[in-house]
Amino acid sequence: MAGIELRNINKIYGNSFHALHDLSFDIKDGEFMVFVGPSGCGKSTALRMIAGLESISSGELKIDDRLVNDVDPKERDIAMVFQSYALYPHKTVRENIAFPLLMAGLPKAEIDSRVNEAARILELTTLLDRKPALLSGGQRQRVAMGRAIVRKPAAFLMDEPLSNLDAKLRVQMRAEIASLQRKLNVTTIYVTHDQVEAMTMGDRVAVMKGGVLQQVDTPQNLYKRPDNVFVAAFIGSPSMNLYEAVLNGRTLTLGSNSFEIPDRVFEGRPSLNGASNRQVIVGIRPEHMNDAAIRPSSAEISAPVTLVEALGSESMVHLNIDASWVDAGDPDAVADIGAEKAAVARFSPKSTIRAGDIARVAVDAEELHFFEPDTRTSIR
Amino acid sequence: MHRVSRPSVSGILINAAALVLVLSYALPYIYLLMTSIKPAADVQQIPPSFFPAVISFENFREVLQSSTLPKAFINSLTVAMLTTALSLMVAVPAAYVATQYRRRITTFFLLFALVTRMVPSVSLGVPLFQLLKSIGLLDTIPGLVLAHTSAAVPLALLLMSAFFEGVPKELEEAARMDGCTRFQAFRKIILPIITGGIAVTALFTFITSWNEFLYALLLTSESTKTAPIVIAEYNSVYGLAWGAMTAAAVLYSLPVIIVTLALQKQIVGGLTFGAVKG
Ligand SMILES: Nc1ncnc2c1ncn2[C@@H]1O[C@H](COP(=O)(O)OP(=O)(O)O)[C@@H](O)[C@H]1O
Ligand SMILES: [Mg+2]
Repeated sequence: MAGIELRNINKIYGNSFHALHDLSFDIKDGEFMVFVGPSGCGKSTALRMIAGLESISSGELKIDDRLVNDVDPKERDIAMVFQSYALYPHKTVRENIAFPLLMAGLPKAEIDSRVNEAARILELTTLLDRKPALLSGGQRQRVAMGRAIVRKPAAFLMDEPLSNLDAKLRVQMRAEIASLQRKLNVTTIYVTHDQVEAMTMGDRVAVMKGGVLQQVDTPQNLYKRPDNVFVAAFIGSPSMNLYEAVLNGRTLTLGSNSFEIPDRVFEGRPSLNGASNRQVIVGIRPEHMNDAAIRPSSAEISAPVTLVEALGSESMVHLNIDASWVDAGDPDAVADIGAEKAAVARFSPKSTIRAGDIARVAVDAEELHFFEPDTRTSIR
Repeated sequence: MHRVSRPSVSGILINAAALVLVLSYALPYIYLLMTSIKPAADVQQIPPSFFPAVISFENFREVLQSSTLPKAFINSLTVAMLTTALSLMVAVPAAYVATQYRRRITTFFLLFALVTRMVPSVSLGVPLFQLLKSIGLLDTIPGLVLAHTSAAVPLALLLMSAFFEGVPKELEEAARMDGCTRFQAFRKIILPIITGGIAVTALFTFITSWNEFLYALLLTSESTKTAPIVIAEYNSVYGLAWGAMTAAAVLYSLPVIIVTLALQKQIVGGLTFGAVKG
């Protein structure tokens, strides 16, 4: 087991594409760290550099306090699970799982008992003599896991290991991997583009965008205190609603709506005190907008309803807020939002609001997020 | 299931077309077989007959008892096998490196190999003759092997790189994570996966050398003549020995058929390589 330390890591590919910029953070011994971000942001690159499959252009990589920049993958004592599983097609499940032990030169009896143990943990015992081609996607995923855990390595690296599974199996495997990691207590780096996976699995989550680390923190802190607009919008589903707004004293003007901000908001953000005509980006989570007819509030806005998605336990209400919508810069999100750029509010299922109505929306003003319009960083 | 039992018009047409195609390939060979088992005297009868009136193996007896043909067969076999081995030893590692560690230079290398195939062998024959003469390999087995290898390697390179292209890069990476050096990853993981591809390449290389006529004609004279040269000579030295020639040609085609059948499983595996990926 080992901690992993990244110091100002840069990656410049052969075609002079600068894929990673000054990546720095620590992963503690036994920690489950998730790299998350839109596709192409450099997650796999970072992971492959830690694995030793990709060279480090500059910076320092330490595993267990040892500088490993130029150490061969096989000397790093790290196991990796690939997105495609990369099972050896000519070997049986047993031979696949045994392969790293064979390469390590373990005695046969030891190999047998470890393979059987891993197979038992992953419920692969009955499949040990099959070739990978005869396995289902979920079973292949387990074999890939088995090949990783059998070695008892210093760390696991996993690159989107669940993305080839169907949605139901993905949720199941998500829980299994997380609990397996807790049981084995091996330092793990897990790459995904799915923020739900990141939030549910990680002890800490590193959010990346365009080769730049945005924020590393626990899932709760990322959700409660995002450092910038990108993290605010990327974490959470549906996304945080982000609009340009103007603050005058304690009055926030959002398009044609205005409401008062409670004192508590200013306590944590001294720079907003005594604002006059201060431009801000305001962020409102969907759950902080409710039907004012059910839960009245001192801060209310009204907006036309374009769509209501009744999910039973809650209703997703799409609102056409007449303030200027802020693009958080998540390339994957554009497709979801489309041209509508609607705000989404999470109403109680008791709400009787319907598309076409003008909704009176109670805003939980204490829970608002504020960002600088130019730097897009959080105002604290 | 039901479709099979009710032949459709398009099905009949496709089968008819396939039959015509197969016959157009097979008929000359069948005619060769038929001719080879006719008595020598019947071979040139006018009008010619397709089927032999009497079956006789006198043509085969003649070529097998001749002083030249058995020796030529051994030469051909030796040259083809050595060429195959040498070509694979060069092409398999080279194609692997060119595809797995793709750089501009490796792409250029593969293209260049292709370009050398465009130069007609007639124009390469004379320089090759001079080269081999200057190093004393003219009219020797190693000399002809070298010449055939130079012709076979580009083809082998292209075939092998197509097969390696089909091997996911992650397999090598997984092997390296599992404790292999790059060479161990190649030998323990990649090579076993690619055996079908190697079999196909070996077959094509073997056939290239086995069938090669021009270099063999230019670069060998007495002791190392290969079978195609000797077979062609039936047509000149003693006049027209059609019967002996057809028998020799039938014998000449046997090794290729045998090798193809022997490697059939690997060849089908090699040609349907995509299935391995899963
Ligand atoms: N071998 C390479 N050469 C050049 N650019 C690359 C190479 N591999 C990845 N990239 C680029 O680097 C960026 C990050 O890629 P990657 O780490 O795979 O992203 P992610 O895993 O987050 O989707 C992408 O823009 C990708 O196009
Ligand atoms: Mg990736």
